[in-house]
Amino acid sequence: MVNELLNMASSDAGKMILGLIGVLAFVVINALMLTWAERKVAGHMQRRIGPKEVGPFGLIQPIADAIKLLGKEILTPARVDKPLYRLAPILIFVPVLVSFIVIPFDASLQVTDINVGILVILAFSSISVLSILMAGWGSENKYSLIGAIRSVAQNIAYEIPLLLALLPVIMLANSLSLKDIVEKQQGLWFVFIQPVAFIIYFIASVAETNRTPFDLPEAESELVAGYHTEYSGMRFALFFLAEYTNMFIVSAVATTFFLGGYQGPVLPGIVWFLLKSYFLVFVIIWLRWTYPRVRFDQLLNFAWKGMIPLAFLNLIITGGLLKI
Amino acid sequence: MSHITEEIKTSIQGVEPAEVSYPEKGYHYALEASLENLPDIVRFFDKKCFYLECLLCTDYTDTLELVYLFNTHLAPCRFKVTLKIDPQRPIAPSMSAIFDSAYWYEREIHEFYGVLFTGHPNMTYLFLHNDIHEYPLRKGKVPVPPEDKERLDSFKPGEQEDSFFINLGPQHPSTHGVLRVVLKMDGEYIEQAEPVLGYLHRMHEKMAENRSYQQFLPNTGRMDYLGPMSFNLGYVLAVERLCGIPVPERAKFVRIIATELNRICSHLLWLGAYLADLGALTPFLFVFDDREKIQDVLEGITGSRLTYCYFRFGGLYNDVDDPFIEGTKAVVKRMWSRFSLYEKLVTGNVIFINRTKGIGTITKEQARKYGVAGPVLRSAGIACDLRKVEPYSGYDELEVSFPVGEHGDALNTYKIRIAEMENSLRIIEQALAKLPGGPFMAEKVPKKLKPPRGDIYQVVETPRGELGIYIVSDESDRPVRMKWRVPSFSNLMIFPELTKGALLADAVAILGSLDLVIPEIDR
Amino acid sequence: MGERGFCLEKEIIPVKFAVVEKVLDLARANSLWPVTFGLACCAIEMMATSMSRFDIDRFGAGVFRASPRQADFMIVTGTVTKKMAPVLVTLYEQMPSPKWVIAMGNCAISGGPFVFEGQYNIVEGVDLLVPVDVYVPGCPPRPEALLEGLLKLEEKITGSRRFPRVESA
Repeated sequence: MVNELLNMASSDAGKMILGLIGVLAFVVINALMLTWAERKVAGHMQRRIGPKEVGPFGLIQPIADAIKLLGKEILTPARVDKPLYRLAPILIFVPVLVSFIVIPFDASLQVTDINVGILVILAFSSISVLSILMAGWGSENKYSLIGAIRSVAQNIAYEIPLLLALLPVIMLANSLSLKDIVEKQQGLWFVFIQPVAFIIYFIASVAETNRTPFDLPEAESELVAGYHTEYSGMRFALFFLAEYTNMFIVSAVATTFFLGGYQGPVLPGIVWFLLKSYFLVFVIIWLRWTYPRVRFDQLLNFAWKGMIPLAFLNLIITGGLLKI
Repeated sequence: MSHITEEIKTSIQGVEPAEVSYPEKGYHYALEASLENLPDIVRFFDKKCFYLECLLCTDYTDTLELVYLFNTHLAPCRFKVTLKIDPQRPIAPSMSAIFDSAYWYEREIHEFYGVLFTGHPNMTYLFLHNDIHEYPLRKGKVPVPPEDKERLDSFKPGEQEDSFFINLGPQHPSTHGVLRVVLKMDGEYIEQAEPVLGYLHRMHEKMAENRSYQQFLPNTGRMDYLGPMSFNLGYVLAVERLCGIPVPERAKFVRIIATELNRICSHLLWLGAYLADLGALTPFLFVFDDREKIQDVLEGITGSRLTYCYFRFGGLYNDVDDPFIEGTKAVVKRMWSRFSLYEKLVTGNVIFINRTKGIGTITKEQARKYGVAGPVLRSAGIACDLRKVEPYSGYDELEVSFPVGEHGDALNTYKIRIAEMENSLRIIEQALAKLPGGPFMAEKVPKKLKPPRGDIYQVVETPRGELGIYIVSDESDRPVRMKWRVPSFSNLMIFPELTKGALLADAVAILGSLDLVIPEIDR
Repeated sequence: MGERGFCLEKEIIPVKFAVVEKVLDLARANSLWPVTFGLACCAIEMMATSMSRFDIDRFGAGVFRASPRQADFMIVTGTVTKKMAPVLVTLYEQMPSPKWVIAMGNCAISGGPFVFEGQYNIVEGVDLLVPVDVYVPGCPPRPEALLEGLLKLEEKITGSRRFPRVESA
């Protein structure tokens, strides 16, 4: 009986299923932990402590938040567009799960190694724009609509420098598969060869995840709560989960492409991978609590007139140097 | 000053300005107008670059009296123009075409007294809800006629308009309190902004008529909860001037120290709230840190943390002791070191500069027409700070300097407020050095104050600008009329003008730079 | 108070389990999210409570949500005028249950210092509009008083108090 189970588990399909379960577990734990980390980091930056009473160091706080959100009344406002309103939270959460399939946590810890891995990630992250628009439109609320429209314009504008910053690395590694890109960084991490690309990618990904200084879609002081104004309870929690998971994914991709992925001495690969990714997540949280918000037209100007020409220039120079 | 009186006598028929004693009355000249020559008089003052400081109405039971107060910014020369109206048919010509600041004052007088201003473009309710049956500030019950009740405020888009309406408030995530601004939007651009007031109208002026002078003292702290000391100070100065109560020197200097500490608190909170509006949430907590230290010091002598009621007629409630003086010195020392932190965190931040530079520019002419006050006025380029121009309570014995801006935009206003905090620290240091001993309370202040018949207009400089208090007394222990001319009211009047064609994010930045406190607007 | 417990849009399961209710109550008490509803002077003291010195986030209640749909309880800080009353009721109705209300300050409890004969504009107490759970008196109450009010609300939800009451000797 046990032998049969082990046989099933080590087959390809079995590995895939175990991997998916692992990814799901990781995503949930990651999101819970990041809510705690955000409040604690914010607290310490603001000269206070943050959650402290709920469990030691406030560690049980995210679990209390999750249980409370589960127990909330599921409220659907009367005038919303029901299919769009109900579908949006699900649609924003599922694509990020798919992106986890191709991320290499360690040399042997990757759910599958698709040979066009980065294309999968970029394609599925674009779906989040659609779901934000669905949330904003379906809520039948002016604030949500403005927030959603801002988000669409912002995401479209910043996807281009994101892609343009990843292209030089792909050219250097000569492959679209994430595993190959990590393997090619044995001697020297790509961040030292392509620092400009790293900075452009990082800024564009902060804009993609709708975090301050680019959090106009949910600008609290102007738009109440932006595109998720009308969401309550578990649906709202799904938006939050998606945002934190997205933060982790962009950091993971940055780690894979620029910081050497799971490579590092002494410690096992997965520890290095998580250290590097969570360091970048910490930087994203740090940015939120330091900077004010940019204005909408300044945001778009920065993308179209600043980042895209710079990324193009970087790409051309890299291509030229590779040929020489 | 006298040349203006000569000119007005020669240019307009039947006008006789009378010179009054400024230390007793708070204004320099009084003149009676009639319904025919009022527009000419107002136009005369406009040509001479005066600004309409205040427009109020008093109900004397047998007549209604409209009072227009005109003043110049740089050298005070206050004219009080009165117009008597028949209470059975209260009609007056509207001055909103000449002075933009009259637009809201006339709406307010209309809904509280029932005076109809002919020629006013929009005679709708400003403060009150639609369920009012009597004009609130009239003595005796004067019912609101049905045609007045139909003047509701409503915003309906025209038939072929592409724009939509969006509400900013009254439940506001940015900490302005209960202000509602209805914005007519065209995409992300604002076509028209209309503030809707009255969500915190707490009937202070009616309470003043129902309470004695002492009983009204706590109300003054609640009108501006960020700068209550200045409101307190203005009120006690007005009543002391009216009754002729002398104030000992020690009390004057302690009043200065307390008011300046409060000014720093108010500017600090403005800084934190402004940055929270723009999206940076961390400086909010740093400023509250500083505020708590100052509030500890003030709590030692007053007993309250927020809505102080420390000054009494003739002096102070409580004498200051050594812990207060030591505490103030420590606070001043600490504040000097904090400015570099705010410089690094805020002033040099590129995103912050881009959000505030060139936003909400006010010209000198606009500042005069709308009667703006305070740092907003100074950032437009007009060098007027009442602590220097019309000193009160011992400020004339200290060296007061104040910064003046050039462009009148939000960045200028920000820099001026930071500089004002530094100036307040210098004033506190001077006052601490000069603090004399002696009594802290005048002797023989009557228990029941019955000021002599007459009126007075007292101005002080609050953190938000010029506060004017107009009290009319008829020898009883309650005032006949107490009008509060608050700076936020005038500053908010210019907001619709500044946001035409601006982005939504800019509207929030402009609103923040005006530093409004809603309870004082709504009174 | 509204529906409590793990409920769907229609009450499918008519049975409630005590253990589940206890866990839910504990979770709700430890993660109370207020809606930003500052009206007047007491709002500044509410802000001071969420700042570094008093830090309401210690108890899990520091996430102030701007949209009432994502909040658990409403702290009514300040005077409620007749013009503001419908807004307050709308906000209360937009909050999903379970929801609570803390009336902070004398104005929210009973009109405060603005009650006089001939008053025409304020609602004398927010409990004339919405059901109130905890009253925190003061004009304005100190931040410690608001924290005590929050702990009292937690006691109301869970039945037991987080910190034992200090008995004076």
